[in-house]
Amino acid sequence: MVFGEPKRYFVERRVVERMLGTHSGSFEEYFARLRADLDREIEQFVNAFTINETYFYREEHQLACLTTDLLAARLKVKARGSPIRIWSVPCSTGEEPYSIAMWLLENWPHVDEHEIEIVGSDIDTGAVELARAGVYGKRALMRLPPSVVDKYFAFDGDASWRIVDDLRHSVLFTAANIVNRADTVVHGKFDVIFCRNVLIYFDDISRRTAAENLFENLLPGGFICLGHTESMSRISPLFDVARFDDAIVYQRPSR
Amino acid sequence: MPLTRKPPPAPPAGAGPLADAAAIARALADGNEDERWAAARAAANLPDSVPALKDALAGETSAAVREALFSALARIASPQSAEAVLPLLRSDDALLRTRASDALVAMKQAAWPYIAALLRDESADVRVLACGMVREMPSERAAPLCCDLLDAEPEQNVCAAAVETLAEIGHASALPALMRCAQRFRGTPFLEFSINTAIDRVRSQAITPRA
Repeated sequence: MVFGEPKRYFVERRVVERMLGTHSGSFEEYFARLRADLDREIEQFVNAFTINETYFYREEHQLACLTTDLLAARLKVKARGSPIRIWSVPCSTGEEPYSIAMWLLENWPHVDEHEIEIVGSDIDTGAVELARAGVYGKRALMRLPPSVVDKYFAFDGDASWRIVDDLRHSVLFTAANIVNRADTVVHGKFDVIFCRNVLIYFDDISRRTAAENLFENLLPGGFICLGHTESMSRISPLFDVARFDDAIVYQRPSR
Repeated sequence: MPLTRKPPPAPPAGAGPLADAAAIARALADGNEDERWAAARAAANLPDSVPALKDALAGETSAAVREALFSALARIASPQSAEAVLPLLRSDDALLRTRASDALVAMKQAAWPYIAALLRDESADVRVLACGMVREMPSERAAPLCCDLLDAEPEQNVCAAAVETLAEIGHASALPALMRCAQRFRGTPFLEFSINTAIDRVRSQAITPRA
């Protein structure tokens, strides 16, 4: 991750938060703790720098593209009976993988004909724990139709809603850093990867490494969806551009 | 519910360990596309594999493997890896030239010692690419390089590339060279426009108070 001069305040705030969180009396004291990785401070430090602001059905047009075009394209080339695998990485606190699951259940007429695996992964282990818990505030639900909220959430009191157990237990959550091949390769191959709004934070080398890791995690002909401000063409020529009515996505060449 | 949760499938076993430069060289020379891809990716952690990566780049036909070769050299980021990529800036293949330039940009400091010479290269195409590479350097080092080029460069397109870089790095010391270049190319509308835009940007950045 690269933080330029305009992000100085953001960085300072996170460092101060961690200094307070560890009761460090000075930066030197905190830095020594970080270097020694006392009480897994490196993980806490990374967690403090990751951004977990999101909501359900964010960039809905890509979800529409998934059910209108991407899955149809995958089914044309997949062996009958092989599972459809979808990866949301980074998944933050779980809004995206649960959105994918709800969208499929609500909008894909063929959903009952296939075995579908949805995996959500994030470098922030705290976010992964929250994703597994599946409890959200009102703001995260703002884009969901009331009928969807009623069907997939239970009011948890104190202005929070919990994903129903059936859905919660349908999504696998794991910790993974997309720049670390050892983390990504163990997740296997996917038909569709959602990797939105993270590559913009990386430097050139990390972006290239992440693109190559994700390329390995895609089945030939599989698709990757980036955030609407991101362009894979500027990062790597490994993928083809695939234009659909609802979204522009990227595709691993079939060979 | 049709959604299922299972542990991810075990990744397929590779062709064999790629733990040293010799194994990587063998796989790059004799492997199939998947094996060459795996070797190129593993090479990123083995600086000794630069000669094999350089040899492989010269003959690699797969675009994906070629990309992995460039990435490995970029991640190694040593004088040797920079020198392995530099000749490709003169390739007849535009994509190869661009990816070579991108790899050098990604190497950051490892490529910087070569940039001054690239800005004086006999090929205008190489000089244009070098102007893009300057962008990654600290502005105090980048601005004088671009200014020296602007004072001597005969090609409009190369000047335009340097002007674009100066507009981005926004160093006030570049203003005199930009004005001299505008004088030299008076009557060339696109360059005059670029230079005026760059001057405006540099001036506005020079007077912006720090937060």
